[in-house]
Amino acid sequence: MAIDKQKAILFGAAAAVRLLLFTAFPSLPNLLTGRVEISTPVTSFKRLQEGLFLYTHNVSPYDGGVFHQAPLLLPLFSLLPNPSTQPFATNLLYTIVDLLGASALMQIAESGQSVSSRLFTSPRKALRWSNIAIGASFLFSPFTIATCIARPTSALANFFVLSSIAKATQGASITSILALAFASYLSFHPILLFPPLLLILYDAYAGSSKGPSNPLAFSLVHIGGLAAALGMLLYLSAILTGSWEFLAATYGVRLLLPDLTPNVGLWWYFFTEMFDSFREFFLGVFWLHILSYVGGLTIRLRQQPLFVVTSLLGIFAIFQPYPSIADSSLYLALVPLYRHVFPLMRYSFLASSTLLYASFLGPAFYYLWIYAGSGNANFFYAITLVWSLGLSVVVGDSLYAVLRDEWEVERPEMRGKEVRRI
Amino acid sequence: MPPSSGLRPPSTPNSNEAVTIGSARMAATAKSLPPPESKDAILTRRLVILSFWAIVLCLGLPVWWKTTAIYRADLPLQVMNDWAEGKTCRPVFPLRIAFEAPALPLQDAQHLLRTTQHALDDLNEFSAHHLRLMPAGSPVAANTSQHSQGMTVQDGVLHNKPDEDVAMLIRLVPGESGSTPRAELQSYSPTLEVYYTSNQIPSSSSTSSPLATFIAHELQKMFAEEQATLAYLLSTSSTAHNSKMKSLSPETASALERQSTRAFKYAPTYHLTFSLFSPTASPSEWEIESALQEYISPLLQSLSSISNFTVDTQVQLYATFSPSIHYPEFDAPSNSWTLRREDLSGFINAAEWPLSPSIGAGPTVNFVLYVPNPSQSPLLVKENGGNSWLVPQWGGVLILNPEPSHQNNGTAKILTQESLRPAMLTFSNQLFSLLGLPQTPSSLPLRLSTLKRVRAAALLFSASSTLGALARLTKALPSISIPDTVAKSVDQTIIHLHHACSDLRAGKFHGALEHARIAEAEAEKAFFERSMVGQVYFPDEHKVAVYLPLLGPVAVPLVLAALKELRSLRTRS
Repeated sequence: MAIDKQKAILFGAAAAVRLLLFTAFPSLPNLLTGRVEISTPVTSFKRLQEGLFLYTHNVSPYDGGVFHQAPLLLPLFSLLPNPSTQPFATNLLYTIVDLLGASALMQIAESGQSVSSRLFTSPRKALRWSNIAIGASFLFSPFTIATCIARPTSALANFFVLSSIAKATQGASITSILALAFASYLSFHPILLFPPLLLILYDAYAGSSKGPSNPLAFSLVHIGGLAAALGMLLYLSAILTGSWEFLAATYGVRLLLPDLTPNVGLWWYFFTEMFDSFREFFLGVFWLHILSYVGGLTIRLRQQPLFVVTSLLGIFAIFQPYPSIADSSLYLALVPLYRHVFPLMRYSFLASSTLLYASFLGPAFYYLWIYAGSGNANFFYAITLVWSLGLSVVVGDSLYAVLRDEWEVERPEMRGKEVRRI
Repeated sequence: MPPSSGLRPPSTPNSNEAVTIGSARMAATAKSLPPPESKDAILTRRLVILSFWAIVLCLGLPVWWKTTAIYRADLPLQVMNDWAEGKTCRPVFPLRIAFEAPALPLQDAQHLLRTTQHALDDLNEFSAHHLRLMPAGSPVAANTSQHSQGMTVQDGVLHNKPDEDVAMLIRLVPGESGSTPRAELQSYSPTLEVYYTSNQIPSSSSTSSPLATFIAHELQKMFAEEQATLAYLLSTSSTAHNSKMKSLSPETASALERQSTRAFKYAPTYHLTFSLFSPTASPSEWEIESALQEYISPLLQSLSSISNFTVDTQVQLYATFSPSIHYPEFDAPSNSWTLRREDLSGFINAAEWPLSPSIGAGPTVNFVLYVPNPSQSPLLVKENGGNSWLVPQWGGVLILNPEPSHQNNGTAKILTQESLRPAMLTFSNQLFSLLGLPQTPSSLPLRLSTLKRVRAAALLFSASSTLGALARLTKALPSISIPDTVAKSVDQTIIHLHHACSDLRAGKFHGALEHARIAEAEAEKAFFERSMVGQVYFPDEHKVAVYLPLLGPVAVPLVLAALKELRSLRTRS
């Protein structure tokens, strides 16, 4: 009962903070919506409004080349009253999405997958934060709150990713796959989470009373399920917009990066400087770079698939074409699940100070470049490099810590000793 | 050395130190050997390395191959070079001249025709350009053209339509008055009338006759300028034709060069702009529309088989001289104001007078009518007292001095059609020069058809040499891409060049001009393809700078891990 009460207080407080910010500062949502750190061309709420306007006036929302988001968002948002005059419904929707995401995150924490999976149990499993603390770290993270206020559609994708993981830890194949399909439908790259999620599901299935099944048949069934769910969503979209042109306008944009609006990622600057003739090649290189982590991490960390998912989300937050702090907030929400390896991490101070440094200086440098005119694009690009460096230090350091943790199971006598690379 | 036990995380390309930590061992017991690696760990490590290499090899390589391959459409280089060197097409200009002698018996007429042809052949030094006589209206004559388009068969009777492929008509007219033989060229039809007396008809036995020689000389004289122009064109456009060239005297060559630098480059459409400039407020109106209708339109009509024209007009008041020229000086002996000859080129005040360089696709031909201030009238050119001149490849200028009768009450407000007449006549002459119309012969249709042949040949050469340049470019720069559109344009060019060439051979000069025009346009399009030149200045060394900064750091751990693994495999086995 105490837990439930704490949970209610947490959710109530989180909702109150959000609704208070929405109502006390009515200009804040619009201000944050315009920030490049939060709104990217593929998630921006402003662009969604544009698409919505075209959609409600019976014009193809992709005419004009501004709107790049999934078509099924349109009927959902067209049900809500106009956010410029009556923003409450929209605000409430985003608040609820955040709370549901937090609830899914707490389910993940509850499952204990992070400390003991089917094949591996950490020797430090006693050291962990409570579900409430983990939920609070997500709900009260300034990145999450800023994302919620700015209302990019990546908030929805984050929710689907979290619930997909949560359902996978519970072994609920159908809902997990469905949520993953939604997440991939909304923002494309979560489909790369499928292999580790499949492992989580398989572990849950094998660990349950039903006993182990044929891995091949298991994965084929789930691949089929994912394909069917995605196919269904895409087909519905095609019916809705009347043609398949939305594919090029949504996933085509994510794949080919025609819009070079600055963001916190690494792609935009690189591709503004790129020789035209090498553009396609480096698009391929960048995408393959992301893709290459999936196989390696999944094989190496077979025993801890949830950590593979976490690390992949961190890698997406750094290396995807249109990252925003919404992606970082999702990754940073999952990191506290690994409280037990924090003592093994060596660069926590460096990582946290780098991230703080970047989050304070990023907006300042953007201002210097765009508004004051006293800086240039390199200012902002440098700070996004620092930001990405901070995130990759977290990813790398946690990876090291988890591997070290695994290694100590194998060689208990090494516990607490210094290691050296040979 | 087999790697010792312990951590072997995947060798991730974004590695920082923490990720690529290798096997580890206690610092304190550095000398003691760590326990051997488990089989599972080795397998996992190999699988991880394999998974990275699988992505590099199975996806990375095809992507690299596909996206950086330079697409080079196949170009018929040999054919293009042949065109440029003039091997494929040796342009010939067979002019068919109809020969009509209504007053002569058929036998005599044919004999005369034969002897005249002989005389002509003897006179002609320029093999590419030959005149061929044929009896007028004979079906044989028409059938020599491959498609007998001049003839239609109707009710079993041959009707002779006016055949545009017949260059001119010689009509023999018996005339007793005046000196005979004499020839009169009609100004507005391609007809040469030759007056003769009956005793000048050669007898059937003789192989030459004064009349035949006379006709041959007349013809030769008429086409001398055309032959010279074509010869000049051949000599300047390509080296391959030089051998069979008729030699040109230096004077002729320089005259032709002057003429060709003066004329506009050929375009399917020209814009004509007629502008009235005045330094004062008057004249503020001119009856340009009716003047154009009267004096210019008929010309444009007759030129329409070669190019199209659009016309616009403007009036500009208070137009001042350009500050760069000398102010007109008063010349007391002739009671006139004079402009110095060297100032004529700066007369056009390009900075202030609204003469746009080009409207739309084609070039603009400007005609400027300048009415000087009454206090400076008449305004003339100092050296020769003229009042008009031509600006090469730009247009013509005429100073219209108000007539003395008007000077009593100042300059007339309106320039009437009648007062515009001299200006329009000058402008039409200037237009002919600017379009490259030859000076002789006096018959306008003949001059037009000469222009047609000259233009067709010029376009043919220009398109061929563009093809050659493209072929050389393709060979010289193996790193540029050649899109399909270029190949298509090249094919079109070659097809149309072939048509143009065969049309020339068949004497169908209008068709030849059409095809040569298309060929030229396509060749230019192919040569100036935008996407082709993008990579011209991209040497191979630059590729290192493109690939290395990003791919180098990624490749090093990948390659090293693979090598290490392979070495351990070998020592183990």
